[in-house]
Amino acid sequence: MDRAPNVDGAGAPRGRAGGVTDWLPGAAELRRASGEALLDVFAAWGYGLVATPLIEPLDTVAAGVGADAQARLFRFMDSDGSLLAMVGERTVSVARVVATQLRDVPRPLRLCYSGPVLRNQPLLGGRRREAMQSGCELIGAAGVAADAECVALAAEALERAGLTGVQIDVGHADFLPGLLEGGGLDQAARARVLAALADRDLVAVEAAIEGSAVGEAERDLLLRFPGLRGDRDILDAAAAGLRAERPLRALRTLGELWDLLMAHGLAGAVQLDLGAVRDFDYYTGPIFELFSTDLGFPLGTGGRYDSLLGRFGGAEPATGFVIHLDRCVDALLRRSIASRAPETVRVAFEPGAEPGAILAASWIRSAAPGARVIRDLDASETAPVGAVLHVRAGGDVLVWQGGAWRESPVERALEEIVSRVSETESWLADAL
Amino acid sequence: MSRLCVALPNGTLLAGACSVLERAGVARLRPEDFDSTLLIERDGHRFIKLRPTDVPVYVEFGAADAGIVGKDMLWESARDCYELVDLRFGDCRLVLAAPHGSALARGEWPPSLRVATKYPAAARRFFDRINVTAELIKLHGSIELAPATGLADAILDITATGTTLRANALVEVVEAATSTARLIVNQASLKTRSAEVNALAAALRRAADPATDGRNMTVAAAAPRS
Repeated sequence: MDRAPNVDGAGAPRGRAGGVTDWLPGAAELRRASGEALLDVFAAWGYGLVATPLIEPLDTVAAGVGADAQARLFRFMDSDGSLLAMVGERTVSVARVVATQLRDVPRPLRLCYSGPVLRNQPLLGGRRREAMQSGCELIGAAGVAADAECVALAAEALERAGLTGVQIDVGHADFLPGLLEGGGLDQAARARVLAALADRDLVAVEAAIEGSAVGEAERDLLLRFPGLRGDRDILDAAAAGLRAERPLRALRTLGELWDLLMAHGLAGAVQLDLGAVRDFDYYTGPIFELFSTDLGFPLGTGGRYDSLLGRFGGAEPATGFVIHLDRCVDALLRRSIASRAPETVRVAFEPGAEPGAILAASWIRSAAPGARVIRDLDASETAPVGAVLHVRAGGDVLVWQGGAWRESPVERALEEIVSRVSETESWLADAL
Repeated sequence: MSRLCVALPNGTLLAGACSVLERAGVARLRPEDFDSTLLIERDGHRFIKLRPTDVPVYVEFGAADAGIVGKDMLWESARDCYELVDLRFGDCRLVLAAPHGSALARGEWPPSLRVATKYPAAARRFFDRINVTAELIKLHGSIELAPATGLADAILDITATGTTLRANALVEVVEAATSTARLIVNQASLKTRSAEVNALAAALRRAADPATDGRNMTVAAAAPRS
């Protein structure tokens, strides 16, 4: 470097906004392939793709997400003075479509989506402000079978995107509120405990419970957090001593869900978590999060949100999940996948052989879909280093094979290259 | 067994953090051990020493599985971590203090107030809660100079013994909050390494509990299972 970079304002190169990512070749390719792997699995389970806008009226978004999420929306003014927001998640948009254009489509309705979301996170916190989200929504099915399908589908999609060994944490959004109500806490004390739980501040939970009139069984359960996690056995342990119907109903639901998840082949991957709390205020039933040991954030989250669609005029049960594609790529990159560059076929040519090189390149592209074929822009007298094919003026070609150039008839050379490329072109599929 | 990475705060809480880890039987660490290095592998775990403000950052991103940090650091950064255990050391209080003899020191609230603080987020929540309009000035140190130099009418700052307040002729007006050291944990570590994280939390909880004082524990007894 002939000049040290300076950090003063003047003369700095034009930059990008903070909190957003430029995905470069390699990582961007991995991101696309992972995203497509997710969508392929969603499609294989019968989920129809919908594409919703990047902007929504602020009122629409506000109907679906809590105050915290609303405060992080990028907003701007429409030409008529009303407020628009860039979507910060896409379930609300899908819910709007379901309650309007798809109101009369038979249920259950299986939909999936993939697209960017924007969140106005504080700068310098290391969080992305633009992120890709892919997810599924299963509308009009109230039973636990629908919840199990979503958990299993999310797990399979992550596995197909290359994220093996994902751990799934399953809880119930109504268990803790029901527990607190059944435990004899008044409204204000319940709100305090739930706020502390939402903040993940267990010290504050203890403080709020100390000196409150909560029942013995409920107190024991709340103070055992985060030990409220485990396999099916913890449900019976938790139920002992509880008399109120609401928390017991949540425990029964989790028991049925557990059995179905075992049938889906998820033994060993699932943990029940009775202390689970979620940021969004719309979850009403089973909820889940997917974690990888590579990353400090969940790769995906989901759950039942039976009260959301009612806010758009057509109350009906719904469950679904979102996968944070960028975090998946972060985790994959930590597993040093994608350090492998794709195989590239470079076609060179002698002066006067350019039409032949154009034909050869397009023939390989159509015969080996997915192959990367680069044709030189300038002729070279002798076969250049790094090329695979050198088209000569006379019509025959040189093929790079086993570390040397060999003369070959055109057709045989092309077929050979195609079969070689077909073995390696699925480098991403192999890597994933 | 995968070891845990535990972030410790430098400064006043480091000695207490080492002490509670030793009493819990997690690791034998001394503050001086960090004089020559910021990263120590000991008794099956990895310990790193950070500025207190950075502890929640490392834990949120999972660069550290767990951390020990004053509650006052959590007021300012809305970091997505689980706060599991009150470790009951490093007690201090966040107080509003005004110059001796001022109206505010006599309990008379002026219609508008300029307050210097290192804790703007906590200050905002405090003044909202008591319905007082205050203009906040964020400073990074020597807060107690602000009233004497006319920069602010009062300060909202941490005090452990009150010595600094008295030395600067400041009087406590009201207590805004109290703080002790906390164990915080990364959300993914809590789920994917629950056995190790829960063992750490339980051992620290017992050691921090004044009733048991961690007397009967040894490193061997609380060492993570292999």
